[in-house]
Amino acid sequence: MTESSNPQAPPTIAEANANSMPKKFRNSSWKAPKNRNKNIKAIIAEEQRRLADKNLGIDDITYFNIDAPPSLIPSKAYCDITGLEGKYRSPSTNLRFYNQEVAQVVRDIPPGVDQQYLELRGANIILR
Amino acid sequence: MHKLTDIEWRPQPNVPFEWSAGSTIAIDFGTHMTRAGYTDTNGPNLVFPTLTGKYRERKSAGPGLAGATTVGYDNFIEPSTRLSARSPYDGALVSNWTVAEEVLDYTFAKLRVGSDGCVDNHIIMNELMSSPAAQRRNLQQVLFEGYGVRSVALGVDALFSYYANDGKTGLVLSVGNEATHIIPVIDGIAQRELTKRITWGGRTASAFLAQLLQLKYPTFPLKLSATQTTKILENHCYVSDGYKEELDGFLDMDGLEKRERVIQAPYIETVKAEKSAEELERIAERRKESGRRLQEQAAAKRAEKLAERENDLQYYRQQAQILEDLGDDRQGKREARRILDSEGFKDVKSMNKKIAELERTIRKSLNQDVEEEEVVPEFPLADVPDEELTPLQIKEKRHQRLLRANYEARIRAKEEKEAEKARIEEEKRKDEEWRITDLAGWVEDKREKRNAILARQKERAKMQKELRNRKSMASKMRMKNIASLAADTRATKRARPGAGIDDDPDDTFGADDQDWSIYNDIANQSDSEEEENERAALAELEANLLEFDDEFTEENLLESQTDWKSSLLHMFLHGPTEYNPESQEQQNQLHLNVERIRVPEVLFQPTIAGIDQAGVAEVCGDILTKRFPSETASVMLKDVFVTGGYSQVPNFDARLTAELRSLLPAGSPLQVRSAAHPETDAWMGMAKWSKTDDYKNSRVTRAMYEEMGPDYIKEHAFGNSSYL
Repeated sequence: MTESSNPQAPPTIAEANANSMPKKFRNSSWKAPKNRNKNIKAIIAEEQRRLADKNLGIDDITYFNIDAPPSLIPSKAYCDITGLEGKYRSPSTNLRFYNQEVAQVVRDIPPGVDQQYLELRGANIILR
Repeated sequence: MHKLTDIEWRPQPNVPFEWSAGSTIAIDFGTHMTRAGYTDTNGPNLVFPTLTGKYRERKSAGPGLAGATTVGYDNFIEPSTRLSARSPYDGALVSNWTVAEEVLDYTFAKLRVGSDGCVDNHIIMNELMSSPAAQRRNLQQVLFEGYGVRSVALGVDALFSYYANDGKTGLVLSVGNEATHIIPVIDGIAQRELTKRITWGGRTASAFLAQLLQLKYPTFPLKLSATQTTKILENHCYVSDGYKEELDGFLDMDGLEKRERVIQAPYIETVKAEKSAEELERIAERRKESGRRLQEQAAAKRAEKLAERENDLQYYRQQAQILEDLGDDRQGKREARRILDSEGFKDVKSMNKKIAELERTIRKSLNQDVEEEEVVPEFPLADVPDEELTPLQIKEKRHQRLLRANYEARIRAKEEKEAEKARIEEEKRKDEEWRITDLAGWVEDKREKRNAILARQKERAKMQKELRNRKSMASKMRMKNIASLAADTRATKRARPGAGIDDDPDDTFGADDQDWSIYNDIANQSDSEEEENERAALAELEANLLEFDDEFTEENLLESQTDWKSSLLHMFLHGPTEYNPESQEQQNQLHLNVERIRVPEVLFQPTIAGIDQAGVAEVCGDILTKRFPSETASVMLKDVFVTGGYSQVPNFDARLTAELRSLLPAGSPLQVRSAAHPETDAWMGMAKWSKTDDYKNSRVTRAMYEEMGPDYIKEHAFGNSSYL
C-alpha cells in the first residue's frame, strides 16, 4: 500500500487511488450477485411484495408501519416565498403569502416557478 | 460576512491500531459518515464521509490513473472526484452495493487487514431500524462471502449510542442524516413496536435549504453543491426558541444585521483598469490634439475647395464674357454652341445659374465662421402691382413674395415662442398668487393632479402587464381594434373604388383628435415621451407639495415609497444594506435570514416541508404520555436521550425540552440530555458491547450463516427482530 509519507498532508491522486490498494483480504473467487443494486423505489416495492404474503398482524413491525402518524395539531400556514406567516392565499396559484408586497411577487410569478414553491411543501400538482 | 465553505480533506484520527486475526472490527456505516476501527482501541480508527468518487484522467496525472477511485475525504483533494463523489445510499437504504463494497474495501485496507482471502475478524455493523429484509441479506452476503468474515452482529446505531452513554431506561431520539427515530428503551431493551420514524434528517434538511436558496436567488452565478449547502446548514442554522414570535420580527430592519448571515461565494472580479490623473490628462491632451489636427485638416480642405471654386468662377466668368462678346450671326452662334457643349451646359441660362451658384457658395464659405446678424431683408417688388412690372420683374416679384412669406413665418414662430414663455411665466405667477391667497385649495389641486398622474401610471403598468398575457381582456380589445381598423380600410375601398381614404365623405375619422389615440392603444410599446413628461410633472408637483404642504413629508414621496428601506423583499433578499446590481461582490452574496430558523423548524413542524407527520416533540410527548403505564413513563422521561449528527443543530435540546414541558403534566421530572459525542458514540457503543458476553452470544457466525441462509437473525438488545 502506498501510504502517504506524511499523514497530515493531503495525498496525491496516485496515493489516494483505492484501486491500487492491496486487497488480498477479498475472497477472489466470489462474484457479486447481479441485480443487487436497486433504487429506493425498487427496494420498497420488493419489501412490500415480500410482506404481502405474510398475513401481518397489527403488532407486527415492518419498515412501513414505524412511520410517525400525522400531527394532531392543526398545521400553521407560512408564506411560501419568505417563510414568514402566511395569512393569505393566492387563488390562482395556491401560493401562500405574507403581505401585499409579496402578493405582487406571487402575482408576477413566472410559469412553473409556482409549482416549484408548492413542491417544497408537497402541495404541487403531480401529473401522472 | 462569511465565506462559502465546503468539506475539505482532513487526516484520520490519530488512534494507533494494529491488525490481529480474530479481533473485532466495528463499522458504523452511516449515511453521512463512516466510522470504523478495532474495538480494542479507544476510538474509531477511521472517520470519513461515506462517498466514493471517480477520477477523470488528466494528462499530467501520469499513467494508470484513469478511473482511479477515491474514498472518503480523499474525494476532496481533486475537483473531478469531488464532483463525482456519490454515496451507496439512496435515502436511508443502501442502493448501490458496488459503492458500498468500495467503501468496505477502503475500510479494511486502511485498517491494514493482513489475512489472505478473507477478513479474519468479527464484524459489528449498524443497520436501519426495521430495515427491509433485502438490506440485511445483501450486507451479510457481502460480509460472509465477499470478505469471509468470522461473524457478523448488526445493531441500530441510535441504541449503541444510548448504550455508550450508559442509558438504561429512557426515550432515545436519534436525529440522523436521512430520518429521525424515536425509540423507547426499557432496561436496555428497545421497544420496537413503539418506535416511530419521521422521514426528516440532516440530508433532507440540507436539500430543502438548497431548494429554498435556489428559488430565492434564481440567477445566482454559482451552483451550490450538496456539501456546500450542508456546510451552510451546519454553520448558520439554528432552532428557534419560539418560532412564531421570532418569525414575526425577523425581517425588521432593526437588528437584521445581527440576525442575518451573509455568505460570500467566491467570484473573479473583472477589474476595470483605474486610470491615474496623469493618464487621464494625457488622454484628454491627445484627444484635444487630434481634434485640433482634424480642424486644421478641415480648414485646409475648405481653403482648397474655395480656391478651386474661385478658379472655376473666374473661368466661367471669362467664358460668359466670351459668349457675350460673340456676335449674333451664325458663326457666332455656332461658336457659342461649341463653347457651351464643351463646358457641358444646355444653354447660357444654365451657365449663368452655375455662376450664381458658385458665387453663393463662395460667399457662404467665406462667411462661415462669421456670426450672421439677422438683417431685415427687403422685398421691394413684393407689393408692386403686376401692371407696373416687366415680365422679368414679375418673376422676381414672385420669388420675393415667397421669400417674404418664409421670413414672416420665421418671425411668427419666434413670437409664438416668446408668447408661450410669457404664458408660462404668467401661469407660474398666477399659481403663486393662488398659493398665497388660498393655500388649502392650491394644495388640494396639486394633490389631485398628483393622484391623477399616479393613477395613470398605475393604469399604464397594469395595461402593459395585461398585454403580455395573450388571453387577457386588454389583449383581446387590442386585437379587435386592429381588426376593425384593417376592415375599415378595405370596406371603403371596395365601396367606392374611385375614392381614396382621404376624400371619402363617409369617413369621419380624424374629425375628433381623440380618434388618433386608437393608434396609441394598439401600439404595443409604451409612449416613452408621454411617460417622461408625466414623470417630470410628477417630480415638480411633489417638489411643490414637499415645500408648501405640511402634511406631505419625504416619506410620501413616490421615490421613498419604492425605497429599499421599506421593502420587506429587499430585506429578505439583500439584507439591511442597499443593493447595487452592478456589484460583483453583492451578486455573489447569499443572505440567510428566515431560512436560518425555517429549515431546522421542520423537525418540529414537518408540514413546513410537506411531510405529513407529527414533529419530534409531538411524537415524543405522545409516547411519554400515552403509550406506557405512568410509572414506566415517569422513569422514561427522566432520560430523554438525544443523539445523531443533525441533533447538533444549535438550540435543539432547549427547544425540545420547552416543547415537552408544555405537553407533560406540570412538575414532571423531565430530563433531556445529549449524547456526549453524537457523531462517534454509536461506534463507541459497538466497541463497548464487543467486550460483553452478550455480544458473543448475539453474533451470527459463519457456520450459522452457511446453515441458515442470509436472512437469519439472532435477536439481541440492539438489533431488529427476526423477520416475519
